[in-house]
Amino acid sequence: MSFSEDKFSDDSRLHLAQIIDNINAGIWEYNINTRAIKWSAGFYSILGYDTNEIECSNHIFFEHLLYHQDKAVFLHALNDQNTSPAKPIQIRLLTKSSGYHWFESTIKRQYDKSGQIIYGSIININQYKQAELQASRNDQHYGDTIRIAKLGSWEIDAATLNLTLSKQIYDIFELQAEIKLSIEETVSFFEPPYRPVIQNAINNALEFCQPYDLELLFRTAKNHVIWVRAKGVPIINEYGRCVTIRGILQDIDSNKRKGLSLESSLNLLTDQNRRLQNFAYIVSHNLRSHTGNLQFMVNLYEETELAEDRTEIFAHIKSISSSLNATIEHLNEIVKIQTEITNERSIISFEAIFNNIQSAIKSNIEALNARIEYDFSQCPQISYIPAYMESILQNLLTNALKYSHLDRQPLIRCYTMKERNHIYLIFEDNGIGIDLDRYGDKVFGMYKTFHQNPDAKGIGLFITRNQIEALGGTIKIESTVNIGTKFTIKLV
Amino acid sequence: MIIPTSAVNTCIIDNNKIYAYGFKKLLSIKDLSNQVTHFDNGSEAIAHLRDPDNAQNLPDIIFLDLSMPVMDGWEFMKEFEEIKSQLGKKISVYILSSSIDSQDIDRAKNIPSISDYIFKPVDVQRLQEIFKDLQGIARQ
Repeated sequence: MSFSEDKFSDDSRLHLAQIIDNINAGIWEYNINTRAIKWSAGFYSILGYDTNEIECSNHIFFEHLLYHQDKAVFLHALNDQNTSPAKPIQIRLLTKSSGYHWFESTIKRQYDKSGQIIYGSIININQYKQAELQASRNDQHYGDTIRIAKLGSWEIDAATLNLTLSKQIYDIFELQAEIKLSIEETVSFFEPPYRPVIQNAINNALEFCQPYDLELLFRTAKNHVIWVRAKGVPIINEYGRCVTIRGILQDIDSNKRKGLSLESSLNLLTDQNRRLQNFAYIVSHNLRSHTGNLQFMVNLYEETELAEDRTEIFAHIKSISSSLNATIEHLNEIVKIQTEITNERSIISFEAIFNNIQSAIKSNIEALNARIEYDFSQCPQISYIPAYMESILQNLLTNALKYSHLDRQPLIRCYTMKERNHIYLIFEDNGIGIDLDRYGDKVFGMYKTFHQNPDAKGIGLFITRNQIEALGGTIKIESTVNIGTKFTIKLV
Repeated sequence: MIIPTSAVNTCIIDNNKIYAYGFKKLLSIKDLSNQVTHFDNGSEAIAHLRDPDNAQNLPDIIFLDLSMPVMDGWEFMKEFEEIKSQLGKKISVYILSSSIDSQDIDRAKNIPSISDYIFKPVDVQRLQEIFKDLQGIARQ
């Protein structure tokens, strides 16, 4: 419908205005030359007025009906000669009873005998406009929330394996441009050990419709390694086949790292607690055993009348007294480990310490004709508590000598290794070995002896383990009876 | 009493030589048993029990320590369970340990051939009861 053609008479225009009034729209007309203005009945009614209830004037329109911020838009549209046909404009007009509403108005120019006329039709678009504003507010809100949650969404089409990523995904990837990525390319952003994990999860989702929720390490385009949560849910068609996988990717780095550090402090505490409990048990057991013997002997001493028995019993009492003393010394050493833990670490050379120990027990080594080899070239130095390192190396060396095989020349090898962020100390011998299936972790227990070796006190490896663990390391043993023993110590 | 209690054949398995000495001495002073054999660990005791030469000289009662090198008390019990039916003699086994760990005590309770668990050093009265009970069993 157009008013732009001259052949329309005033009558037909009025007629059309009536039709338009009925479709809940209004028309207005403005004569630039005369500044005369006309409103159709519909114009009044969509604003909630009866016809002629308000004065039809420029003043009323501009100063009362039109929202002040929309004046510029409206005037600009009136004066704009170029755009033809002009685009409809959206303005707010004051309704009679429900405040400002959004309206859309067309603007047309026409020249007739009375001069230049501009006219247009207005319709109420308030509901639609409100919905649009609400939607854009929602979008904004959604966008903000997503940004705060560091969350991006993605979708894989099962048929084409086409991957669609949301803008936020690119933010997590730290990619500047939203370039198209394939599934393989996306998987390659994950750290190598996690690539098969995510690939399998995607495959399972596609094939068996299994959802997944994983926490994985991810390397961004800017080389930041972060923890992400990758969650995928298959969308299934009526035949039970996966048609789409929809999912999210979330940057959970700070939380995950906090969780991991909490977990490691918890492990440390649990370890310390276990050591303390073990210590309490040892104190009670070992001291009990000595004091029990002492009490026993003293009673026996009183019971017996034979002088020679008494002499023998007294010799035993003396021996218990010195054992008691030795046990107290051992316990003292263990307490020392806990107190020395706060001692300052310093850079120490494995070779220097190892050579010192070798010369200290030289006679021992020579008596057994032991061959001792070392190679600390992979990691010559370490920051450690010097007293601990001396004690660890000395214990392992004397241990290897003590349990050497009588049938062959003892061969002892000690070397260091560096792997990732850890420093390992390896200690190998060709001694008598130990049956680990039988004794297992007891090797490192206190006063645990397994061979009938008169020198065995069952304290060395216990102290060694405590020193290593106190500094956050671990010690592992591998052994074959009659072949030899290997200790692998993760120092840091 | 028809048979003097001191005729009971006693065996102590304990690597603590001082304790074993004291235990022997105590049994002798209290006239409970004059025939006491001592083994340093479970393995030596098993070898003794298995040896056919000792068939006529098997102990009536064994006092067993738990923590020992080479073969500890638990390992001894495992082997003992396997051979006891072939010994042709009922041997009472008492755990004699300084361990007050409830795990050890419960574990011992679950082994049917262990008569009781007694704590070191040792209560003389309890010891006298044990030997008296043994006498009763022997008479039946």
